[in-house]
Amino acid sequence: MAQWQEVQQLPPTHLERVHQLYTNAALPMTVRQSLADWIEDQDWQQAAEPFSSHARMLFHSLLTLLGEQLGSLGPGDEDFMLKHNLRKARIDLQAAFEEHPENFANLVANLLQEERCILRRAQAKGQVEAPPAPSTAPQSSQEREIQQRLAEFRTALQEAERAFRHMEDLQDTFDFSYKMYYLPGQDHSHDPQYAQHVQALQAKLQSLDRQRREVVAQIQQLLGRSETLRDFLQQELSAWRERQQRSCLGAPTDTCLLQLQGWFTALGEGLFQLLQLLRAVGELRQKVTYEQDPLQSELPLLEKRLQEQLTCLLQSAFVVEQQPCMPNTPKRPLVLRTANKFCTRARLLVRLHDRNHRMEANIHIDRDPPKTRGFRKFNILTSSSKTVLVGDSPREGLVCDFQYLTLKEQKGGGSGKGSRGSNEGPLAVTEELHLITFTLAYAYCGLELKLETSTLPFVIISNNNQLSSAWASVLWFNMLSPNPKDQQFFSTPPPAPWPRLAEVLSWQFQSIAERGLSREHLQMLAEKLFGSKPSPESALPWTKFSKDGAAGFSFWAWLDGILALLHDHLKQLWKDGLILGFVSRKQEKKLLKVKRSGTFLIRFSESMLGGVTCTWVEHPESGPPAFRAVVPYTAAELASLALPDIIRDYQLLAEENIPENPLLFLYPDTARDEAFGPYYSQRHEGILTKKKEYLNQRLIRVSSRQPLSPVCCGCATHMSRGATVGSPGQCPGVIGHCAPLPAVSSPPMAPRCSAVSWGERRVVTSPSSTEPRPSNNEGTRWEREGAMWRDDVTQRSVMSR
Amino acid sequence: MSQRGRHQESKTKLEISPSETMKAEEENYKEEDKEPKSEDWRPPSVFGAADLKNRAVGLYNIGQTCCLNSLLQVFFMNIHFTKILRRISVPVCGTQKKNNVPYQMLLLLEEMQRGKQKAVSPRELAICLLAHRVTMFVQYDAAQLFLTLWNLLKKQMKNPELVEKLSDLYTIGVQEHLACQICSSETKRNSSMLTLPVPLLDSGFYMLKTLEECLQCFFHPEELTGHNMCFCEHCGKKTPFRQCVKLVHLPQTLTIHLKRFCFGRSAYIHKISSCLPFPQDLDFNEVLTEQQCQAYDSEKAAWQYELFAVVAHSGSTSCGHYCAYIRSLTECKWYCFNDSLVEQVSWDDVKSTYGHSDLSWGQTAYLLFYMKKHPQ
Repeated sequence: MAQWQEVQQLPPTHLERVHQLYTNAALPMTVRQSLADWIEDQDWQQAAEPFSSHARMLFHSLLTLLGEQLGSLGPGDEDFMLKHNLRKARIDLQAAFEEHPENFANLVANLLQEERCILRRAQAKGQVEAPPAPSTAPQSSQEREIQQRLAEFRTALQEAERAFRHMEDLQDTFDFSYKMYYLPGQDHSHDPQYAQHVQALQAKLQSLDRQRREVVAQIQQLLGRSETLRDFLQQELSAWRERQQRSCLGAPTDTCLLQLQGWFTALGEGLFQLLQLLRAVGELRQKVTYEQDPLQSELPLLEKRLQEQLTCLLQSAFVVEQQPCMPNTPKRPLVLRTANKFCTRARLLVRLHDRNHRMEANIHIDRDPPKTRGFRKFNILTSSSKTVLVGDSPREGLVCDFQYLTLKEQKGGGSGKGSRGSNEGPLAVTEELHLITFTLAYAYCGLELKLETSTLPFVIISNNNQLSSAWASVLWFNMLSPNPKDQQFFSTPPPAPWPRLAEVLSWQFQSIAERGLSREHLQMLAEKLFGSKPSPESALPWTKFSKDGAAGFSFWAWLDGILALLHDHLKQLWKDGLILGFVSRKQEKKLLKVKRSGTFLIRFSESMLGGVTCTWVEHPESGPPAFRAVVPYTAAELASLALPDIIRDYQLLAEENIPENPLLFLYPDTARDEAFGPYYSQRHEGILTKKKEYLNQRLIRVSSRQPLSPVCCGCATHMSRGATVGSPGQCPGVIGHCAPLPAVSSPPMAPRCSAVSWGERRVVTSPSSTEPRPSNNEGTRWEREGAMWRDDVTQRSVMSR
Repeated sequence: MSQRGRHQESKTKLEISPSETMKAEEENYKEEDKEPKSEDWRPPSVFGAADLKNRAVGLYNIGQTCCLNSLLQVFFMNIHFTKILRRISVPVCGTQKKNNVPYQMLLLLEEMQRGKQKAVSPRELAICLLAHRVTMFVQYDAAQLFLTLWNLLKKQMKNPELVEKLSDLYTIGVQEHLACQICSSETKRNSSMLTLPVPLLDSGFYMLKTLEECLQCFFHPEELTGHNMCFCEHCGKKTPFRQCVKLVHLPQTLTIHLKRFCFGRSAYIHKISSCLPFPQDLDFNEVLTEQQCQAYDSEKAAWQYELFAVVAHSGSTSCGHYCAYIRSLTECKWYCFNDSLVEQVSWDDVKSTYGHSDLSWGQTAYLLFYMKKHPQ
């Protein structure tokens, strides 16, 4: 918006200042108003300098323009006063400044500057008064700063261009006069006019020299400011890189590049414009040069500095927008499987290109492979080059998108499949890091560059069962590597500080099951890893994370098992916070002890991969509370019956042979059906009315009650009693919908397990314990025993309807 | 950093040279002192436009004078300096006026502060300097020119009180220790310096990370062995020595010279453009150890500094450009003085002179001026 327009829109308090400014000014506001655009377009500052011929020219142009303005005004009454004012102003100005037009130039220059001051003050105040402008997204101060600096850069560039045009004018006049009047070799000693001409020529050269230095200073200033701006953009870009790395690990962050692309393009445009300006200045120097010409020494320097800045900007603007990722494992990028297709995409954030120049991007895998023994080599099977295309909409950038890439391992000559053993490297396959490098031959405005960027290191596997440990490597690398290109990272992997690891682990749960880990969860994990008192300085070594484990599997394998279970079967429950999940036994007892009987919680098994279990509390009439836990359910069980249904129908056969569901209240205190109601699979109530060939069946899970006290032992009577338990009449609550059926008793052969016979419609469980157990470590024992119990009956439960 | 590409031989040499010059000047001064002085006569303009605000006004480049311009701006924006400058006595005759550097500087300052011009030409001052063999159209090393200018100022200020004030304002007091490692005899010598020339590379030629590290490296004791052994009078032969510099006194305006050059092969000097952050606030008590100082607690208590100005260089050792970033002491705002262009900038712009290893032509801080927070 033109300055005068902005001034007119100022709030009253500031407008008052403008009026004050013009009250005593020799330039009447009428003139300012009627010639606003023209006045703002001229370089008054320049003209205000002593001995400037420019001032006279501007002054006379102004008077002429005023005259034209007067002529163009109609005879109507409404213009009468305006006409009068303009005519008066014209006469006054002519009288006042005819002799010293440079004073007039100075006056106008100062007035314009004051106006700008008032505007700036008003804007600053406006920002304070109304801080959050109604913008779509709240901008950070850094973003505002960048926007503002970009705007300033553009203004300064325009000013430099104006100064350049002025220099061009000065040079033309000088050149003309020089050719006209400067006639060396002739005797002019008697020609006073010649001396005068030479003097004038000298003055013209002076002002040209001054203008040249001015232009040089302006360009220097511009370069200085653009360095700061570039620093800012660089900071934003590294923040983006960090965000991208985090988002690869599953963190919920925004990795959109549009804003950065806008900024980089704007700065790139400005710098290229400056480059062209510099070249134009160079052409002027070709035409006229003199001793101590500032352009002589400064131009090469400026051009080098500018080119260096452009190079630096463009180099950093070439980024990998999408890290290599297989489409079938979108949550786990940077793990690639041979012969599986994957895609990756790079983008040049400076959206400037020459349409006549075909830009080709190439990719290479492991251009400088580390010199480790046994480092596998791969080929990219599909085409490794691509022409960069640009769409017309500003949202599309200069993108090279490689969509259907596949990798194939290079086999050494003659070495067959089994030969790997001999040249096995020190690193496992899943610790071997590979890189893809993008190169782009860029050319624009005579600047030719080879741009390069690399993906984050990725792991190449050949079998899906390596996916989990490969992902562990990716996590570890991106969490800890200070150098994003370090392919040797796993030769000495650093330990992970617990706070950092905790955050990354939480992201895993966030990205796979849409709910991260709570403080309590992390507390439990920390205790599991570091013992009773984890400190913030605790750090976990890589081997302890991914390799060793007391239970026969590593910490990560355990966690990944849980992640898989959550993803496949328990996503909704986890998301809604119904699964307490990570609770240590100690903590579990502490929590449940104070709750009423039948309060239960759902936690993950610590002793097996991918298991989930319920623990509940029972308060016997005398003695300490007892805690019971059922054998962990794994994916195999959950595949046939969802956990909410298991909980709903779970049966425990009591000593008195009354099956009952011990799971009454979800910790802390929600009635079972209230908590899980929404997740139960639908019961087909109306089915009985239909005539059907078969009765419906429903799976339920049943356990038999263990004796609460060590008194009870697995005697034969017990067993036989157990075996005859569930007759339909006795437990209508449990299988109330069942049609009355003859009771089937199972052969009391398996002493500790529920007897099941396929095809029968009745579940029977027998009392399980055959040996006395001390009550103090019931939980563990129970679980262990449960596991045994589970072993022999994978098809232990039967449905009936 | 200039066409002359002055070789900075060794640390010792560098420290001594200014102090020697100063001594020589003091002698000169005594002679001049006998001359009749035109006491307390000041041009009316000094009173008329005694504008102590030190407004930021540009200086035209009149032929490779960007280095001079930057240094002049650093002088003029320093109110402690201009207070001294405004008190100088005016030379009597015309030629003396023309050749008197302090007077010409004052005239220039007055012209800058008086007019409403955006920039002023330092023509007269340049001519005056020419008379003192400081030629125009030559690229200067800012540290060298600063020393030359300061020495000229000091030499030509007639009033001993002002000379003392000028010295107080700028000179750093250090004590050099030289101890024979065999007989442990020690020689001490007090000397004063105008700038602290700090290295950017440590003794193992590794880049130092921060200004604080550079300062620590400067005050780190040095073992002189092998070729560098010195003659010990007690031992009567060349022996290994241990040399160290201890800080005695720090002035109001502290000048730090970053030695951003190193010798490549075949004595070719190249510029070190890598990043060296410098703080806005600098507390010498945190930087130096007890052993590296030789000062009273009251002196040390005042060693709290804040950044006042940065003279930045862009380009290579053979050709380049200087500009100055100065924090106005009256307005507390940063300005960038790029010859005739003066622009208000932010601390982020000053930070862009930290340097960048990828930008060998970019701006890098070369001289740092720190100002005492609590003047004594």
